[in-house]
Amino acid sequence: MNGRTPLLSLREVSRFFGAVEALVDVDLDVHAHEVVALVGDNGAGKSTLAQIVAGVLTPSSGQLEIDGEPVTISSPSAANRLGVASVFQDLAVAENLDVTANVYLGQELSRRGFLREGEMEETTRDLLRHLTVRIPSVRTPLSQLSAGQRQAVAIARTLIGSPRIVVLDEPTAALSVAQTAEVLTHIQKLRDLGLGVILISHNLNDVRAVADRVEVLRHGRNNGSFAATASHEEILAAITGAP
Amino acid sequence: MNAIASARDLITRNLRQSGILVAFVAIVAVFALLNPMFLSATNLTNIVLQYTYILILAIGMVMIIVAGQIDLSVGSVVALTGAVSAVVVVKNGMPWWAGVLAALVVGLLVGAWQGFWVAYVGIPGFIVTLAGMLLFRGLTYVVLDNISISPFGKPYYDIANGFLNGLFGGYGYDVFTLVIFAIGVVGYAVAQWRGRQSKISYHQSVESMPLFVAKLVVVAAVVMWFAYKLATYRGLPVVLIILAVLTIGYTLVTQKSVFGRHVYAVGGNRHAAELSGVKVRKVNFWIFVNMGLLAAVAGVVYSSRMNAAQPGAGNMFELDAIAACFIGGASTSGGVGRVGGAIIGGLIMAVISNGMQLMGVSTSIQPIVKGLVLLLAVAFDIYNRRRAAALR
Repeated sequence: MNGRTPLLSLREVSRFFGAVEALVDVDLDVHAHEVVALVGDNGAGKSTLAQIVAGVLTPSSGQLEIDGEPVTISSPSAANRLGVASVFQDLAVAENLDVTANVYLGQELSRRGFLREGEMEETTRDLLRHLTVRIPSVRTPLSQLSAGQRQAVAIARTLIGSPRIVVLDEPTAALSVAQTAEVLTHIQKLRDLGLGVILISHNLNDVRAVADRVEVLRHGRNNGSFAATASHEEILAAITGAP
Repeated sequence: MNAIASARDLITRNLRQSGILVAFVAIVAVFALLNPMFLSATNLTNIVLQYTYILILAIGMVMIIVAGQIDLSVGSVVALTGAVSAVVVVKNGMPWWAGVLAALVVGLLVGAWQGFWVAYVGIPGFIVTLAGMLLFRGLTYVVLDNISISPFGKPYYDIANGFLNGLFGGYGYDVFTLVIFAIGVVGYAVAQWRGRQSKISYHQSVESMPLFVAKLVVVAAVVMWFAYKLATYRGLPVVLIILAVLTIGYTLVTQKSVFGRHVYAVGGNRHAAELSGVKVRKVNFWIFVNMGLLAAVAGVVYSSRMNAAQPGAGNMFELDAIAACFIGGASTSGGVGRVGGAIIGGLIMAVISNGMQLMGVSTSIQPIVKGLVLLLAVAFDIYNRRRAAALR
């Protein structure tokens, strides 16, 4: 698009589940300082694509590149090492743990197997401040937070290990209007921090509010790329396949 | 005003934990009033000697329950490990430590076996350990050839029945016991103080100074009173040292280590844990290996206590251990529970059993009471959770 090497690019990525073609030859580029929205109807392959980037699924064929270098992302922790962090659809947090524990889950700071709580708390507090998230305390169990606050924690946790690419799968699906607005602000903050963001959503209003570019998937294939200024109807037509 | 507010905060914040502690104190008070013998040095020592193996099992069980699993086989594993130890020590005339070692190895193998089926084959722990309950009971019969083996002899017998006494001398009481407990109290105070300081340095709210000091003084007074009781009778039971080391060690592992954090994460939201890079299978495998090891420790302690290995040993121990965890605030849906809670839960069961025996309550009534206590404890837990959900 603008001559720079994309942070992340997918080249002709396909994924089959038995005879089902979830993704067929999909291309996608994400640059730094950019929010790319991925839209499409149910079953269009959005979540499959997110899971491939996040290392939960491996592609059946095709190539992933980070900074122009071919990579294989074989597991969520491999994705973390490559600088890819993800928030999954169904509020992927542990409600019995507190904010700090969730932010650092799976990537705890430790010395000889024992947790360095103080440092983790401090970083968590800084992260939440950067994202302008309001939470009573970094020691509050998630079960005591609202759905919006939990999603904010889930987004904050992507920033651990200073990733460069963040994948958000339906981050606003379970939220009220006010909470959605808050989460969209957090997403803009991620872009301001210089990250490349893949935002998967059903909601075209959300998408048009924050995305720089909108990519449409239909039946597992690329079906159009739009600037954020494109009209609602244009995008909708690409999603539904209307002529 | 401020002190009252912070006291109330302290209580509501930890209602689940402190509620159990209050219940424990109340039960002890009731039995003490009903029978003056209850708080005697002899009886307190007896409680320690009689129920340690359940508490050891409860430590491992609470980790399993927090991870969202259950282990029904521990009673049979207690029997099997005791049996192996007896064959090594009594039949083959090997030294006591060889028996202990053999029991621990068998425990680890049993744990690895069950961990494999749960973690890598994906069979629920309930089924795997139900099978294990039958399997290891049967193996116990095979190992013992259907008969009891006894006696173990002196050094082995002292694991569960021995005392450290007279090391520093004393006048009608054992100074060594008091010194050990005093060191424990000071250590506790220092740990609490450092925890409080680090909380302050990270700008967290802490209880007010007078309340903090009052808490330490009460704990110290109760502990030293208990120590004095032990010291005036036979001194420091060896099993109490084993139990204390295990309790402190496993509290640290569950609350302060990465592994412990992952156990809670797996029990709280297995899917989220997996996506976050927690190695769920590894966690599941190792909690069962650990349970096998602790069941072996309990097996050694129990066989030593009985001075024999019996085919029917450890029957129903799993239920006592599981009950201890749930009374101690563990949640049936996983993710919640503490080693300290399980210990207190186990002590509640122990005190109720012992108190009723002391009062001559008929053996038919005792299980009825214990059953009701378990039911009420879990009802209390569910009531608390509903209230917390409603507050949100």
